[in-house]
Amino acid sequence: MAEEGPKDDVVLEVRDLAKSYPVRSGVVLKRTVGQVQAVDGVSLTLRRGRTLGLVGESGSGKSTLARVLVGIEKPTRGTVLVDGEDVSTMSRAARRELRRSVQMVFQDPYTSLNPRMSVGDIVAEPFRIHPDAVPAGGRRQAVAELLELVGLDPDHVNRYPHQFSGGQRQRIGIARALAVKPRVLVCDEPVSALDVSVQGQVINLLADLQDELGLSYLFIAHDLAVVRHIADEVAVMYLGRVVEQGVDRDVYDASGHPYTRALLSAVPVPDPAAQADDEVLLLDGDPPSPADPPSGCRFHTRCWLARQLASGTGPEAADAVETDGGPRVPRRCATDDPVLVPLGRHDAHAAACHFVGAATAVSAARRPDPATVPDPATVPDPRGS
Amino acid sequence: MEIEIQAGTEAGVPAPETAQERTVGTTLLEVSDLAVEFRTDDGTVRAVDGLSYRVEAGRTLALVGESGCGKSVSSLAVMGLLPATAHVVAGQVRYRGDDLLAMPRTRHRAHCGRHVAMVFQDALAALNPVHTVGYQLTESLRARAGMSRRESRRRAVELLDLVKVPNAAQRIDEYPHQFSGGMRQRVMIASALAMDPDVLIADEPTTALDVTVQAQVMRLLAEIQAERQMGLVLITHDLGVVAGVADDVTVMYAGRAVERSAVRDLYAAPAHPYTRSLLRSVPRLGTRDDGHDDAHDGARRGRLPVVPGRPPSPGHVPSGCPFHPRCDMARDVCATDRPPLAEVAAGRSSACHFADELLGGDRG
Ligand SMILES: Nc1ncnc2c1ncn2[C@@H]1O[C@H](COP(=O)(O)OP(=O)(O)OP(=O)(O)O)[C@@H](O)[C@H]1O
Ligand SMILES: Nc1ncnc2c1ncn2[C@@H]1O[C@H](COP(=O)(O)OP(=O)(O)O)[C@@H](O)[C@H]1O
Ligand code: SF4
Ligand code: SF4
Ligand SMILES: [Mg+2]
Ligand SMILES: [Mg+2]
Repeated sequence: MAEEGPKDDVVLEVRDLAKSYPVRSGVVLKRTVGQVQAVDGVSLTLRRGRTLGLVGESGSGKSTLARVLVGIEKPTRGTVLVDGEDVSTMSRAARRELRRSVQMVFQDPYTSLNPRMSVGDIVAEPFRIHPDAVPAGGRRQAVAELLELVGLDPDHVNRYPHQFSGGQRQRIGIARALAVKPRVLVCDEPVSALDVSVQGQVINLLADLQDELGLSYLFIAHDLAVVRHIADEVAVMYLGRVVEQGVDRDVYDASGHPYTRALLSAVPVPDPAAQADDEVLLLDGDPPSPADPPSGCRFHTRCWLARQLASGTGPEAADAVETDGGPRVPRRCATDDPVLVPLGRHDAHAAACHFVGAATAVSAARRPDPATVPDPATVPDPRGS
Repeated sequence: MEIEIQAGTEAGVPAPETAQERTVGTTLLEVSDLAVEFRTDDGTVRAVDGLSYRVEAGRTLALVGESGCGKSVSSLAVMGLLPATAHVVAGQVRYRGDDLLAMPRTRHRAHCGRHVAMVFQDALAALNPVHTVGYQLTESLRARAGMSRRESRRRAVELLDLVKVPNAAQRIDEYPHQFSGGMRQRVMIASALAMDPDVLIADEPTTALDVTVQAQVMRLLAEIQAERQMGLVLITHDLGVVAGVADDVTVMYAGRAVERSAVRDLYAAPAHPYTRSLLRSVPRLGTRDDGHDDAHDGARRGRLPVVPGRPPSPGHVPSGCPFHPRCDMARDVCATDRPPLAEVAAGRSSACHFADELLGGDRG
């Protein structure tokens, strides 16, 4: 690949992006009683021909970010730059062009395709919004080529979604997204609803298309193992924030944030021996509501490292505080909001934790020693006795 | 809160009158040569074709296969809950020796309501949005166990505690939409456990959930199974998910069992090419299978291993070995001769003409 300057390499960039939704109560006269901060100050960079993986639990704000990126929703704060140009200051025509160049592949292949439309009509749908992408006379041919491109039989153009399997439906969704020749695909959990045996087929297709068409992907998933197979860089989100980011190798093999480590520990390992040795469940319960995020570090209510430090012998333990209803954690975790700080090897690798040093130290063995992780919910060994 | 539960002796609740001792290894449920057919516009098609498996007290059986291979249909047949267009055309389902299929349907269902419980695949959608979680749990307890309102409420809180719903006593009055996906799945598990069943069949209990919640739910099921010495059947398409919790695995393809092995044997060396393909397709953390581990060099990564093509639909099952169009080991004989499920090693069966090659035999 040609060496390009770091700046013109960037196809999509977001700076300090935030999106909040009003929380309303009441049935007739809805009053706004608060704000859900679905995305709260996210900055990301997507390079040409590359894949940025975005990972986090349900509710962490991944889909919200995706919707803002493709222009379905307006951000509450922050900027989206395409090819270095601020979207909010563009002319209407330029913004339309931008919408064309950033397309979305949706999570659920079962509900994202209109069951009453033929496959041909579904794939051609974007032409109605962007009629100049392909001249009217060439559209039949274009649809046939798109089906071919994603590995479907062009003769099936008159079939309906229910006549296809989940994996094939996801191919239809990808063909539709590619119809208007975008440069960026935002793929929102494109394989989560598919059988594992089919996930690889869709991921391989995306990788081939990237090679062939020079596409850039924002690839959203909740499973770090799936992301590893496609992403060049990874960003981990928790409650609307990016808590760690970096190139694939740094994030997986030298993760700096306890949340990343916890996500890694949740990945199912297809090896009974490994699982028996490694019965650690680092993440307990659900994430707190983004309408009322915890003080200080948003992760402190579920952080294994904070609990470990608070029950240890170091200075953090002496200074630990009781949080209401939550575990004892170092004072800073409960009061100060950590910012992303660069971590060693590559400057692109950063994590937002007051104790990154401690996290990476335990990180040497990829997962922490179960004995040092007190977790009330995991006390009885399920396989024991 | 930590609740200790012994089979049938939960605090305040009389043991179900028919509760029997669960000794590890006792056969609780035995499915033999089960065949189920559907009437469709294209005629009669067979969705389950000669399936057998056994569920023992204190053990977990994983039933694994791709979408459409008959996992749900066979389980519904066990429960007596097949839709009207389907019927069992062969086989037995024995619960502690009694053939459930020989019973009138109402008795079959009553038996299952009590002793064999199921968490359904679409459970997350099954909760009624207009009633509180507590209402739905207590109504079913009152109907099934004849409990009073008070008693059923106390029991419902106990059940929610058991499945580790935090603040169960408060959350019981909330509506399903106030519960996350993982918490709703816990409620469905609680509901299935209401009668202290001998056998729990969980149909893809984590497929719609995050990996983190999936890990929590799997752990919960394993804990409850171990505490109660239940027989647990875990249905999944993902061999990664069950490695840590199953004792035995039955792999299904096109309505049939194609491999039956103890969990360690299967993961160490699959005895069927389909099992091997499924195992390879599980995305792994440690590898990128591409020798390309520096994201700055612009090189393209290799391809993920996949099972090519897709499984046949009932009525279009290929001749010979049903897996042959997708099998990387297929030879001429595979297109014509159907391999029977046969013992290939101590305690292991496989339906492949060349299983011994997979297991390190020196033929070929
Ligand atoms: N239109 C909306 N109105 C109010 N709240 C919303 C809206 N859309 C999203 N939210 C809230 O914002 C938060 C982030 O939601 P989002 O869908 O972006 O999460 P996600 O990371 O995509 O999760 P999942 O893995 O479940 O898809 C959630 O708490 C969600 O309830
Ligand atoms: N109501 C039905 N009518 C006709 N065929 C059905 C019906 N329900 C299921 N099937 C077929 O039976 C097969 C097995 O289905 P199922 O048991 O749901 O698969 P699994 O649970 O393994 O994904 C599928 O090929 C499916 O198409
Ligand atoms: S700042 Fe404290 S609570 Fe937050 S991730 Fe680090 S150790 Fe955990
Ligand atoms: S019998 Fe033949 S086609 Fe079938 S699994 Fe074995 S090798 Fe493959
Ligand atoms: Mg989402
Ligand atoms: Mg099913």
